[in-house]
Amino acid sequence: MTGKKPRNLLYLDGVSVSFDGFKALNSLSFVVEPGELRAIIGPNGAGKTTMMDIITGKTRPDAGEVFFKGDIDLTKKDEAAIAALGIGRKFQKPTVFENHTVWDNLELALNRSRGVFATLFYRLTGEDKSRIEEILSTVRLTVRRDDLAANLSHGQKQWLEIGMLLAQEPELLLVDEPVAGMTDAETAETAILLKEIAKTRSVVVVEHDMGFIRDLGVKVTCLAEGSVLAEGSIDFVSNDPKVIENYLGR
Amino acid sequence: MYRIIQTALAALFLFVAMAPGLRAEEALRDLVNALGEAKLSEMDEHIATLAKTGKPEVVAILEALGEGELYASKADGQVFLTKESGSNLTLTDPISGDSAGEAPKAALSKIRVNNSVRRAVRTALGSLTLLSPDRNQRLRAARSVLQSPDADALGAIENALAAEKDAAVRAVLEQARATMLLLSDRPVDEKREAVRLLEENGGREALPILSGALGSADESLKPDIEAALASIEQAQAFWNAGQNIWYGLSLGSVLLLAAIGLAITFGVMGIINMAHGEMVMLGAYTTFLVQDVVRTSFPHLFDWSLAIALPLAFLVTGAVGLAMERGVIRFLYGRPLETLLATWGISLILQQTVRTIFGPTNREVGNPSWMSGAFELGGLAITWNRLWIIVFALAVFAALLFLLKKTPMGLQMRAVTQNRRMASSMGIRTPLVDALTFALGSGIAGIAGVALSQIDNVSPNLGQGYIIDSFMVVVFGGVGNLWGTLVGAFSLGILNKFLEPYAGAVLGKILVLVLIILFIQKRPRGLFALKGRAVEA
Amino acid sequence: MITSFLIKSLDRTIVVAVAILLALAVIVPALNLLTAPEHLLHVPTYLVSLFGKYLTYALLALALDLVWGFCGILSLGHAAFFALGGYAMGMYLMRQIGARGSYGNPLLPDFMVFLDWKELPWFWYGFDMFWFAALMVVLVPGLLAFVFGWFAFRSRVNGVYLSIITQAMTYALLLAFFRNDMGFGGNNGLTDFKDILGFNVQADGTRAALFAASALALAGSLVVTSGIVRSKFGKVLVALRDAESRTRFLGYRVEHMKLFAFTVSAMMAGVAGALYVPQVGIINPGEFAPANSIEVVIWTAVGGRGTLIGPIVGAILVNGGKSIFTAAFPEFWLFALGGLFVLVTLFLPKGVVGTAQNYLATRRASHAAARKESESEKSASLAAAETMAAE
Repeated sequence: MTGKKPRNLLYLDGVSVSFDGFKALNSLSFVVEPGELRAIIGPNGAGKTTMMDIITGKTRPDAGEVFFKGDIDLTKKDEAAIAALGIGRKFQKPTVFENHTVWDNLELALNRSRGVFATLFYRLTGEDKSRIEEILSTVRLTVRRDDLAANLSHGQKQWLEIGMLLAQEPELLLVDEPVAGMTDAETAETAILLKEIAKTRSVVVVEHDMGFIRDLGVKVTCLAEGSVLAEGSIDFVSNDPKVIENYLGR
Repeated sequence: MYRIIQTALAALFLFVAMAPGLRAEEALRDLVNALGEAKLSEMDEHIATLAKTGKPEVVAILEALGEGELYASKADGQVFLTKESGSNLTLTDPISGDSAGEAPKAALSKIRVNNSVRRAVRTALGSLTLLSPDRNQRLRAARSVLQSPDADALGAIENALAAEKDAAVRAVLEQARATMLLLSDRPVDEKREAVRLLEENGGREALPILSGALGSADESLKPDIEAALASIEQAQAFWNAGQNIWYGLSLGSVLLLAAIGLAITFGVMGIINMAHGEMVMLGAYTTFLVQDVVRTSFPHLFDWSLAIALPLAFLVTGAVGLAMERGVIRFLYGRPLETLLATWGISLILQQTVRTIFGPTNREVGNPSWMSGAFELGGLAITWNRLWIIVFALAVFAALLFLLKKTPMGLQMRAVTQNRRMASSMGIRTPLVDALTFALGSGIAGIAGVALSQIDNVSPNLGQGYIIDSFMVVVFGGVGNLWGTLVGAFSLGILNKFLEPYAGAVLGKILVLVLIILFIQKRPRGLFALKGRAVEA
Repeated sequence: MITSFLIKSLDRTIVVAVAILLALAVIVPALNLLTAPEHLLHVPTYLVSLFGKYLTYALLALALDLVWGFCGILSLGHAAFFALGGYAMGMYLMRQIGARGSYGNPLLPDFMVFLDWKELPWFWYGFDMFWFAALMVVLVPGLLAFVFGWFAFRSRVNGVYLSIITQAMTYALLLAFFRNDMGFGGNNGLTDFKDILGFNVQADGTRAALFAASALALAGSLVVTSGIVRSKFGKVLVALRDAESRTRFLGYRVEHMKLFAFTVSAMMAGVAGALYVPQVGIINPGEFAPANSIEVVIWTAVGGRGTLIGPIVGAILVNGGKSIFTAAFPEFWLFALGGLFVLVTLFLPKGVVGTAQNYLATRRASHAAARKESESEKSASLAAAETMAAE
């Protein structure tokens, strides 16, 4: 298997990890192509978040291989290095810098040199300024640019976080439950936003909201007990008897 | 009739026995009187002669000489044992022990002694008391002979050994004989036997004897002595290691006691209680107060004072803990750094309160009789208070483990610390459980204070000495794990004591701190860390 | 690049604070030296030294605030960096004594002669030169902070764990410096200083100059710290304080950021210690006591962590209070200090300056809203962002 060089954007093979005897991931294999938008569903404890932890370097796998862009071994890198490689991540709970303004949040996320001295002597250039303004309008936060992130509504925080991911200019975006706690209108708008984003990069979305996934209309992977249960279109997956048994319920 | 015959026989026997006795008594009296005329330089010789008689009366005479209570009459040179009574001296006949009336001081002259005479007296007494009817006195004498062996006393020792029945005294005598043998000019075979004997039961004391003998020993004996030296050294190293482990266990039990309350408040609840050391201190002061009352009002209960102090200390510090939790800490949940600062403030207040009430100096807390003294176990010297503290620390640990794992209270505590919201929605009154858990941790610190008052100075600063160590133990062992605290305390204790001989006490402590800091690098969550997603919450 | 960094650091509060400090640096020495003792405005020398000491404390508190207020690292070991800086200066002052010591040894300080040492230990070489000592004042604390921080931050020791091991660090140093064979004077430390750069340390002029130097050092550090927290780097610090893993997933090497802030902060603490020692005339291992480090935390908390002026105000308030209190009711100082810890954490989490700034910011913001003027709103929210305290 190692002999053949995988040419996918993200390639997970036989990944296992356990916490105190509990197998969070059990020989999971999973592939994402460049430019793909993929949805992941699965019951609680299926290993969705753990999978993201592995990809972003927060958790090290006990076994298996994880490659990015064909030959970059992600198991040997830490979070910061993986983020710099172009993998962005949105958490389940919206995590933005509450004591910074919306603008500063985006400025911090901007894909620029991130060393100590580079940031110490950083000056906002015209180019960076227009990039931030562009993102602000994409995530519909232009009017709130000077407000503290703490004062945003829940949905606006979710968008700000997506905006920060955009500013990061990642090639692969991992999004964990982006519409949890959103109104229906916000949910619909988020689906449009994600599809727009997926035009220029690969996106992996973890979500429980089946309606939202139907809105996305993409390939779906169902995880259960740490490995892949079924993969295919939403109709194919939701009719799979194993998926119904494990997740959707009869 | 029968009675009369018996009495007559006894009288006859006595007369027969006393006839040579009377002669010997005269000879002894001459010897004693000679002391009065002797010059200082001749005294040693006279004392040795007296001791050689082996008479029991000589003991009292030599003791009086050593004390400066032996006087010679200026008129006829008779020597008396004396006691001062005003300007007169009460005289006692040295041989018969009968009273000999009183005499003015001016009529007598004191027999002068100097240090060399006193030494001679001691040595002489040593070999004399070897024959004393009192077993303990014989043992003491045998030990003193062993400490300053003299080849000339070999005969006395052998005599004593022949008469000795008590095993403990015999053992010491045997050793003393072997030691003296090596110094004497006895045949090589006997010496070889002595070397073997020393090797067998001689501890640290045998080392200088053997190596001293090595220089002057016969060529054929040298290999034996060298082998014996090597084997003793090996045994010593073994016992030293054992002693270090014992000291380490002892230190570990102290650390465990200090840290175990913290394992509850910090380990289980996640509260940084910088006033934890002051809880220990309050427990120690409770012990002091209890002993003070017991000493003045119920002296016969003194041995029970610790048992009385234990529940009181638990209640006092538990109450202080409860007040702290309700008054301050509960407003700071979820803000560990603020908790740290506020509890530090409380620790300053508690310290100053105690200082104001009891003064800044150390207060005396006594050991009950069952905690005093020491015994020997092989080559180990074990003090009772240290032993009891180890037992006590383990008992507290076991009780706490039981409380947490097997009682409804413990179940609720664990439920609240693991998932507060879930516990509260299941009807557990979380604020109450928080308060009680914190009070429990504080109460245990108080109990620890009772034990630590037995081995440490009871002063307002008592707690400060423990706070960093106990945090180190909990962090090293792994937060939230009682077993981790146990293992952490004992391994840090033992590590400390093994480093001490090489690095010295202070440097050893610094090394341990540095090692812990490095260890936390490798395992940031301690020895027995919880793993998994929940940890990162 | 540097100039833009510095210009950015100057907002109104900082300009005012620096101006006040510079004015103090001139006026206080002048009032001390140029006025007659009975003159109304005369500042007695003991007050000059006392306030000089406060200024060094303020610098130490500012250093702590950089890591605690802006970066969320509650160091309980900052007194160690302060003391190390102090010892470096103390060693220079000891070497300046030369043959004037009680034993008259031209090379060895008195305590070494007393211990019957024959030659100067290697680590005392170079301290006869001021420039070398001055370099060590920043290098030694900086190096310790760098090594310690490198280990700690790399393995992600956080929060209270970090606080506890910083406390263990200063405790270990306390024990070490108490030892005679460490070569730093053991229990007694370094004292009986004669002169500094050729001037008598006891003289009024020298004391006034040391006061001015402390004020200047504080002003300079204020500008540098302000530049740091106002740069993008400073924003990253606040970001990682509030949401460390988010910052990591944005691609920032959080451990490098923390390490830089921690090291700079330790160097500032070292400078504070170096200015403190000649003004109080002694440095001993007591300065390493864990209690000292925690006291610095309370100065910062009283003034307001996460604000730049707060720690300075707090250090002067608490220490001024301490001087008055210990003179009037020495028994009760610890009650007061302990109570201060409890009350500030419970009722004044943002500190004096933080609370005041918040109040002003809200008032300004509501004024601005009334006038529907967005420009003033921006400055208000900027100020609010800066004053927001760590959770």
